[in-house]
Amino acid sequence: MDRRSVIKNLVLFSGAVVLLPSCITEEKKASIRLENLAVSEGQERVLAEVAETILPATDTAGAKELGLHLFVLKMLDDCHNKQDQKAFMTGLAQFEEMVKKQYGSAFPDCSLEQRQEAIAALNNKKAPQDVLTFYSIMKNETIKGYLNSELVMTKLRVYELIPGRYDGYYPVSKTLVS
Amino acid sequence: MANLNLKSVEQRTFDAIVIGSGISGGWAAKELTEKGLKTLVLERGRDVKHPVDYPTTNKMPYEFEHRLEVPLAIKENEPIVSRCYAFREDSMHFFVKDSEQPYVQEKPFDWIRGYQVGGKSLLWARQTQRWSDFDFEGPARDGFAVDWPIRYKDIAPWYSYVEKFAGISGNTDGLAELPDGDFLPAYPLNSVEAYFKEQLKTQYGNRHVISARCAHLSKPNPIHLEQGRAQCQNRTLCQRGCPFGGYFSSNSSTLPWAARTGHLTLHPFAVVDSIIYDEKAGKATGVRVIDANTREVTEFYAQIIFVNASAVNTNQILLNSTSDRFPEGLGNDSGLLGKYFAFHNYRARITAEYEGLLEYTTDGRNPAAGGYIPRFRNLHRQETNFLRGYAGALNARRYEVEDRSGFGASLKKQLLNPKWSNWKIGSHMMGETIPKEESQVSLSKSRTDKWGVPLVNIALDYDENDRNMMADYHEQFTEMFTKVGFSNIKTIDTGQAPGLDIHEMGGVRMGHDPKTSLLNKYNQLHACKNVFVTDGACMTSTSTQNPSLTYMALTARAADFAVSELKKRNL
Repeated sequence: MDRRSVIKNLVLFSGAVVLLPSCITEEKKASIRLENLAVSEGQERVLAEVAETILPATDTAGAKELGLHLFVLKMLDDCHNKQDQKAFMTGLAQFEEMVKKQYGSAFPDCSLEQRQEAIAALNNKKAPQDVLTFYSIMKNETIKGYLNSELVMTKLRVYELIPGRYDGYYPVSKTLVS
Repeated sequence: MANLNLKSVEQRTFDAIVIGSGISGGWAAKELTEKGLKTLVLERGRDVKHPVDYPTTNKMPYEFEHRLEVPLAIKENEPIVSRCYAFREDSMHFFVKDSEQPYVQEKPFDWIRGYQVGGKSLLWARQTQRWSDFDFEGPARDGFAVDWPIRYKDIAPWYSYVEKFAGISGNTDGLAELPDGDFLPAYPLNSVEAYFKEQLKTQYGNRHVISARCAHLSKPNPIHLEQGRAQCQNRTLCQRGCPFGGYFSSNSSTLPWAARTGHLTLHPFAVVDSIIYDEKAGKATGVRVIDANTREVTEFYAQIIFVNASAVNTNQILLNSTSDRFPEGLGNDSGLLGKYFAFHNYRARITAEYEGLLEYTTDGRNPAAGGYIPRFRNLHRQETNFLRGYAGALNARRYEVEDRSGFGASLKKQLLNPKWSNWKIGSHMMGETIPKEESQVSLSKSRTDKWGVPLVNIALDYDENDRNMMADYHEQFTEMFTKVGFSNIKTIDTGQAPGLDIHEMGGVRMGHDPKTSLLNKYNQLHACKNVFVTDGACMTSTSTQNPSLTYMALTARAADFAVSELKKRNL
C-alpha cells in the first residue's frame, strides 16, 4: 500500500469511527453503486471469478479483465425484476455455501480445477433452483456483456456503426461466418 | 430564432402561424416561408437542432450503460411508451413519457408522442407510399365514412413535388394500386425476398412484392445536398437522429430550409391552448399560447393558421377553441369534430423460415427494411367478409447465431465463431380500419393537464371487420408462405392496443359537405376559412399506406392554395 492510500484509508477510517461506528465491523460494499442490490466486496470477488470461469482469459481478454461481473450487477440491478434479484442473491449465497462445504474454501480461493468443477455442476443443472437461476442470469448477462464489449465489437466480431452499403445477394463464402 | 418581443402586438403578429413542427408542420413552414410569408412555428416541446442535438447518434452499443435495453424502472413507470419498438436506450429522450403528459383512455390506446422540434419525424419508420384511387374511392364504394373530396389526380403532382425534395427511394413498379413516383434508386430486395416476389407472381399473378419505398437518400440529388444532407450510410440507427441527414426529418430538411428564407420564427416550449376566433371578422385571428416553462399566456396573430399538431392534438386544440359562434369547438357546425377517428391495424404478424438459398446472406444494412406487399384484397370489387384491405411488410434475413452451451475457453470460442441461421422471414399486416362515429377524441370534462388544458379522452377499438381482416391476413400469408416452401410458419396476434401503430388519423375529416365533414378539398375548415388542417387529423379514411407522405403532399397543396387565396384577398 502506498503512502497516499494509507493516509486516505486512515482518513476514511477515522471518519467512519466518528459517524458510523458500526460500519467498521461490516464488510465493504461492491465497487459500483447499486440501487436495489446489497452486494459485498467479497461477493463481488466471487462473481468476478464465476464470470472468469464462464469466459476465461485465453489469447484474448476474459470476463474479469472486461469487468463483465460488474456489467452483470448493473443489468441485474437496473433491468431485472425483484424476483430475479432475490433468486440471484439467494442462489449466490447458497452457491458460496456449497463451494465452502465441498472444497473447504471460498470460490475465489479454490483451485482452477475446483472452480471449473463447481461451474460444470451448475452448467449441468446439478444444483438447487435458486442456484440455477443465479447461474443462468450470470451466464446470460456475462455473454451479453462480452458480445457487446468494446473488445469484441471493435476487434473480434466487428460491429460497423457506418456500413455505407447493402448487398442482398452476398455470398456466404465471402463472410467470416460459416 | 428571432428574439420575441412579447410585449408588442406588432412583434406578435405574423402572416402565418403553423402549430406543430413535425412532418406536416415542417412542410407548412417550408412552403409558407418560401412563398414569402412571415411564419411563426409553434412547438410545444424543446428545440432539437440538426445534427448537434442528437446526443446518442455516434455511440457504439457498448457506450450505453444497459447496451440499449430500457431499464425496468422506466418500463414500469412508463408502460405505454415502453411498448413502442423504437423506444430504446438510445432514443428514449425523443419520446414523451407517460407520466409527463397524461390522457384518458376510455378504451386502451397506446398514444406514442414526440414533443420536440421535429416531432415524430425524427422517429418515424420512413416508409412512404402514394395512395391510389382504389384508396380515395373506398368510402364512396362501400358507404362507410364519407367520400373523399379529392382523387388521385388532385394530389399526384404534389406527391411528386414532396418526393423530389424529401428524397424517396423506390422502383418504378407499374402497379395501379401503388402509383409510382419521383424516386431515387431503390434499396434492393435480397435473395429470399426476391424469390418470394417471383413465386407470388407465378402462383398468384396479382400479388406483388416491391422494394419498400422509403424516405432515405439512396443517391442524393443536388436539391438534397443543398439542404445539407448526404447519402444514407445504412446505419439503421435512425431513431437517434441522423448526422448525415440520410433520412427525411423536419430537423434535417424542411425547417432549416424554411429558416434560410429569413421568414421563419421558431418558438419552442409553446403549448397551444386554443385558436382565437373573431366573430366580427368571421375568421380566426391568432393563437393563444402557454409557455411550457413559465405558464405565461401570450397571444400571437396571423392571417392564416395551419394546424399540424399531430392527429390527436389537432383535435384537442380545435375542440378547446370555443367561442359564441363555435361553442363545441372551432369549425364544428356538424358536431362531428373528434369523431370518425381511426388507425391502422398492426396486430397480426407471421414468421417463417426458409432453408433454400443458403449460399447467400446480406451484407451491410437495408434502411428500407425489405419488401412491401401492396394491398391485394377487395381491390377491384368487394370479395371478402371484411371491408377494404391490408398491405404487408416482408423481410428476410439470416442471423449470426452462437452456440451458447458449456462454459470456459470452448464457450468463448463458440461465441467468436458464430454460424449463419436459416433465413428468417417476417411479415406484419397494415390494415385499414373503418372510421366510425363512436371512435372519437374528446376533451375530459373534469381533468386538465399542468397547463390547464383539458385532457384528451380517446375511445377507439378493434371491431369485427378488423378481426375478420386479421384472420384473412393469417390465412393468406400462411397459404403463400406454404406454397413457396417456407417452413416453421407461425401466426401471431400481438394483441396490441390501437395507437401502437402510430398511424392514428381523423376527427377533422375532409369532405364535400359541411354537414358531414369539417374540412373542404383544400384542407380548409368549411366554417373558418383561414384555418387549415393538414396532419393526420384531416384523413377521411385510412387506407393501408403509411400516411406521412400523404400528409406532406396535402400540406404543400394546401399551403399553395392558402397563399393564392391570401393574394386574392379571400382569407
